[in-house]
Amino acid sequence: MGNVLLARMGEITLKGLNRGAFEIQLKSNLKYRLKKFGDLKIYQSQSRIWIEPKEEDNPNFVSMASAEEIMKAVCQVFGIVSVSLARKFEGDFESVKENAFACVRELLDANPGYKTFKVESKRGNKTFPMTSPEICEELGYLILQNFPELTVKVKNPDFILNVEIRESNYIYSGKMMAHRGLPVGTCAKGMLLLSGGIDSPVAGFMMASRGMPLDAVYFHSYPYTSDLAKQKVIDLAKIVSGYSGRMTLHVVNFTQIQLDLYKHSPQDMLTVTMRRVMLQIAERLALKNDCKCLITGESLGQVASQTMEAIAATNEVVKMPILRPLIGLDKQATCDISRDIGAFETSILPYEDCCTVFVAKHPKTHPHPEDIIEAEKDLDIEMLVESGVAGTEDIVINPFD
Amino acid sequence: MIYFDNSATTFVSDSVRAALQELTEDSVSANPGALHKLGNRAIEVYEGIRKETAELLGARPEEIFFTSCATESANTAIKGYMSRNKRAGNAVISTRTEHKATLECLEYLAKLGYEIRYLKVGMDGKPVPESLEEELSKGDVALACFTLVNNETGAVLPFENISKTIRAKSPSTVIYLDCVQALGKMPINLSTLGADMCSFSGHKIHSIKGNGVLYVKKGVRIDPLILGGGQQDGMRSGTQSPVLAGAFLAALKEVTTGIDESREKIAEINAYLRKELSSRGAKILSPDDALPYVLNVSFEGFESETMLHCLEIYDIFVSTVSACSAKQKKVSYVLLEMGVDRKTAANAVRLSFSRHNTMDEAVEFIKCVDEIYDQFLVK
Repeated sequence: MGNVLLARMGEITLKGLNRGAFEIQLKSNLKYRLKKFGDLKIYQSQSRIWIEPKEEDNPNFVSMASAEEIMKAVCQVFGIVSVSLARKFEGDFESVKENAFACVRELLDANPGYKTFKVESKRGNKTFPMTSPEICEELGYLILQNFPELTVKVKNPDFILNVEIRESNYIYSGKMMAHRGLPVGTCAKGMLLLSGGIDSPVAGFMMASRGMPLDAVYFHSYPYTSDLAKQKVIDLAKIVSGYSGRMTLHVVNFTQIQLDLYKHSPQDMLTVTMRRVMLQIAERLALKNDCKCLITGESLGQVASQTMEAIAATNEVVKMPILRPLIGLDKQATCDISRDIGAFETSILPYEDCCTVFVAKHPKTHPHPEDIIEAEKDLDIEMLVESGVAGTEDIVINPFD
Repeated sequence: MIYFDNSATTFVSDSVRAALQELTEDSVSANPGALHKLGNRAIEVYEGIRKETAELLGARPEEIFFTSCATESANTAIKGYMSRNKRAGNAVISTRTEHKATLECLEYLAKLGYEIRYLKVGMDGKPVPESLEEELSKGDVALACFTLVNNETGAVLPFENISKTIRAKSPSTVIYLDCVQALGKMPINLSTLGADMCSFSGHKIHSIKGNGVLYVKKGVRIDPLILGGGQQDGMRSGTQSPVLAGAFLAALKEVTTGIDESREKIAEINAYLRKELSSRGAKILSPDDALPYVLNVSFEGFESETMLHCLEIYDIFVSTVSACSAKQKKVSYVLLEMGVDRKTAANAVRLSFSRHNTMDEAVEFIKCVDEIYDQFLVK
């Protein structure tokens, strides 16, 4: 049982003079993310972030299960590469040996099949009387003597025992991989167009992994879509916010707008005109909420509205950059990420989202500019966009409620 | 609020609430299997309930078993009969318009190697008579499974004719009948009905959820589904619940009085809705001679779920296909089997009434439908 978590930072360590700002943001995000686990000491030293229980009379995490839960939470914080549960202790080689034995014993209890191992060590504290290779050698020898069932294997052993001699000493084995990226909050906010599908939550996740905080907008067409569909989007927003942090979900009442579009624009252009209006509403909500870009889950060629011509037709109605992190991604790759972040099962729930009711049988896949002018000639676009912005309900999504 | 979703479930009646109150008193709450006098009191109350329930259904007390729901009753009857009577035959006849509780049991039997023969069903929702004779004439039929009133369309099975045909052509065939939607809406006397096993559900007749009844005619032997302490003559183990049985009985008492008057009232409402809806271009999918308590109707231009949500805006509650599987987003298999085309079936909504619905509600319903057409119809 360890008493400290060791979290490794990735890309941040490559930063130059602004590295400090990234680190401060990362620590602050960790504090926020781990708040619900009680009083924890989170501090940084030597390119690592350390997390310890605060109470002095309770030097260990409450239980292995709770340590694992905290590790999972740490892994949801962008900027972290991996995390290990370690034993922290003071003293000379004798105490290193004792702790190493205890650690190996625990590992063998939990994994009776383990037969091979190796020791790796790092010595930051140069006053320690042994060098790193000496520690590996001596400790390896002692473990072999004490645990006759084990043999040393340098390549691909069943487990590696890591020893680090710093201001204190640390021993651990194994690590949980995190999502890397940059700490959320280190760049400006983006407005995610969130539907009930697989792609848009993944798009939000990917932008958040570059440090971008998010707000989201969802177009609701009740009664053509049920409130279960809306709840599904709220659930998806909550899943994304587990990574991106607190966000506001702007639910646009889209029913009347959609009916107007349906009545006054040609069937085969409906998807394009609808998306053009959606983007304009999203842009205005973005401006109102201090977002600097829009984010969509578009992937080139995936559906009729995602051909290059259709994307160009929707792109031209807004000034803000539209980020499309999935544009070159295969559907399978998107599904893999969706599963990885825990959104897939929610995304595939069957409730109709607003795309299925008003879909033309044969939408125009290569709309020309003149088609668009023709399609919108009977529409008061400005009025539709304004009514959309005005009829928006804001829902605060707090991932850790 | 207008609640037209009574075939999905009904609201709990006051008499059921009173029965619940009474039967949760300490004095009747001991284990009916206990040997002390409190236990004796509990079993006495329980057997009293069983006797009264049997009387109201026209059965003998020993033919009545309390279950958790009609699905359990169906499982016990169908699987239990085939398991116990392995030499009775290798075939089961039924239709594809049965409730899932029956169909899934039949699928299960098919996997065990039994032959399931599905009869053809006509536009009127009834099995085609020639189809029944044909399948019976092939012989080896151990069991026949039917539904007295279809839960999606209200189609009433011509059960007298069917049971006569079965008795004449294949006397050893045992008949299971799902009576869930019929109970309290048409007179049922199990002693003369002609079925050997029947299932009933409490929550469809204003009881709470969690109680059902299985009727097994004396002389018909079946294996129990639930094994244990041997309660209810070993047919359904598990501590008997006077509370749940009592709730069922309280509801049953109520719905078996004034059946004809209620039906007349609902028939009027049904006729009014049929007329008004047809004149607005909606297509009535329930057969003309269906039980008036169920009205299946297809609104062109509205997917089922869209119409459901439109009505919800006006605080009117209906179902799409059958509520048990509404989240699976499929078109009703019952309607498809009857020969309704897919597009019409995709727009089908089920209105289902209880004796407490009124003509005023029907009038209000039509008014709201008009507003919905005005506001939400996508042509």
